[in-house]
Amino acid sequence: MLLPEVDGKRLLRAGGIAVPRGFSARSPATLERRRFTFPVAVKAQVAAGGRGKAGGVIKASTLDAAKEAVADIIGRRFGGETCETTLVEEWLTVCRELYLSVTVDGGAGGYVALYSPKGGVDVEGGTPPARYAVGLPGEFRGHRMREVLAQVETDDRLRERVISLSRRLMSLAAARDCITIEINPLVLLANGDLVAADAKVVMDEAAGFRSADIRAAQNREQRKEPNAIRRALQGRLMLVWLDGEVGLLSAGAGMTMAAMDTILDFGGRPACFLDCSANPTPKGYRLAFDLLDAAENVRVILVNIFGGGVHMDRVARAMRAIMTDAPPKKPVVFRLNGTHADQIPKIFAQAALINHGALEDAVEEAIAIAAGQR
Amino acid sequence: MSVLLDELSRVLIQGIGGRFGQFVAGDAAAYGTNIVAGTAPGRRVTEVETIPVFESVKAAREVTGADMAAIFIPASLALDPVLEAIEAGIATVFYPGDGLPVRDAIEMRAAARANGVTLVGPNAPGIISPGKAKIGLMPSFCYRPGPVGVVSRSGSLSYEVCWRLSNAGVGQTTVIGIGGDPVKGMTAGEAVALLHGDPATRAILFLGEIGGGDEYEVAEYAAQTTAKPVAALLAGRGAPPGKKMGHAAALVEGYADTHAAKVEALREARVHIALRLSEIYAAVNAALGAA
Repeated sequence: MLLPEVDGKRLLRAGGIAVPRGFSARSPATLERRRFTFPVAVKAQVAAGGRGKAGGVIKASTLDAAKEAVADIIGRRFGGETCETTLVEEWLTVCRELYLSVTVDGGAGGYVALYSPKGGVDVEGGTPPARYAVGLPGEFRGHRMREVLAQVETDDRLRERVISLSRRLMSLAAARDCITIEINPLVLLANGDLVAADAKVVMDEAAGFRSADIRAAQNREQRKEPNAIRRALQGRLMLVWLDGEVGLLSAGAGMTMAAMDTILDFGGRPACFLDCSANPTPKGYRLAFDLLDAAENVRVILVNIFGGGVHMDRVARAMRAIMTDAPPKKPVVFRLNGTHADQIPKIFAQAALINHGALEDAVEEAIAIAAGQR
Repeated sequence: MSVLLDELSRVLIQGIGGRFGQFVAGDAAAYGTNIVAGTAPGRRVTEVETIPVFESVKAAREVTGADMAAIFIPASLALDPVLEAIEAGIATVFYPGDGLPVRDAIEMRAAARANGVTLVGPNAPGIISPGKAKIGLMPSFCYRPGPVGVVSRSGSLSYEVCWRLSNAGVGQTTVIGIGGDPVKGMTAGEAVALLHGDPATRAILFLGEIGGGDEYEVAEYAAQTTAKPVAALLAGRGAPPGKKMGHAAALVEGYADTHAAKVEALREARVHIALRLSEIYAAVNAALGAA
């Protein structure tokens, strides 16, 4: 979960990392209530990258110019996202822009530190940054980082500052359950100081149980989501909307993706990726059906579950109860298999429900229904 | 033969008093797995379904000679029991839980390496050597003994695929669920290397997906001239970029994460690709034919 820049910077500041002085402004009027010195940078607060290139960062030298910049940026769209608030910060006189991040990397089995002597908006198109595979955060070693930096950074005094900053970032990431802390650009000032001019902090949602910060950020994010996604998240369902017509209700990431691929193969289009494996209960399934029933583009619901730890006799009973008590308005096609699958026919027979043996048969049936052929 | 687990393995179940722990103990024992001990701190039980329950992993190992630990404890509490197993000298540790903080996964993995322990998981369904032993959540009827070693990032997809193969008469040596998280104990490359060393495994089937680097490790193995033939199916051909598809690692951020890039890399390494589930038998058969 990506933190808004202002929250990311608050986290950096708490970890002893210099960030520009600044405040959030949701409207030009906010500026009249604050005291600050010019010039300032007015920055659009959006998750999408490429903000600078899209005119989302404006330099302002007077109060009027700053207010105009806030008014200009708010309500504008950046990468499909409407900007709702700005961050107003002291303008930094840049000597050089660098790139520094610590991030979890599966290949390294833990954290890596990445550094590039050229940061800024073009870093993604340039040469890849130098990479120090740290692994366990406690195994960060300054001398190893120095060796890595020496390959790309000629300024030896700057290298030493980057090393101490990297150590701080690593400790911070580990202590606060951050998956990524990326500073781009990291700005070198004329006096040799380093300031984090931007902050991309990604927190590990799985660590929400031990972090009030993460839970608060999750709640904020959930409120921003469209209603259906928010309800899915609250019900521990994993939902990604796609734009097809087959409402796929499945379990397990790999199986759900494979079922999506199968729908595409047979000429249909999945309406969603909906993985119910984290909440395989009557309530969870009920919610899933309700969400698909309410989605306009869904013409048919395809239930495809191959359960291991989830026992299919229980799932079949839950499905039967839903189909008997308050069935969805839309037609439903079932394909259930897995642990205790031998009990499904008997449970389904009591409500005259059909369970398909093969995924392909169920997919074909669902697509035919969606096309109005059945 | 098989890898990681067979009928001689002596398995300890940590968290044997919980719902999953109890179910797995019964189910695995019914399959033939030699469950020798359990631990259930705080539960005040001395026995679960005739399996003795011990105070600690160390005590259990000393008395029963347990050489494999399977840990059925929720992710929020999992770090300590996994470290306990790793430091108690258990050779193979399996942790299935999902929703584990990545920082804890990093610690588990580092501890396993430092102690020379094989860690499988997190977010993994289990390990089965059909006809011999299983530990985990997979439905037993999907498997039969045979010549194919299977490595999978996804639980449910591996049930589906092995069920299809078994129905078609193609059995498995060992099926290893390595899990869907970015940081994990055994990686695909390590799992494939293990199966490479198993004389009974004539071909290897890899079930991968979008995101992460496992597919490239498999491609690297398959490109070697001494490699066993490899078949693969990758899920997520229709997944949109920038969206996490259930698994923490199933996320397309750059071209290397995409289905197309991975299929290309595996094809270049002469891997027999099944583009869809219905092609799985043909791909595996082609791999077996090349063995």
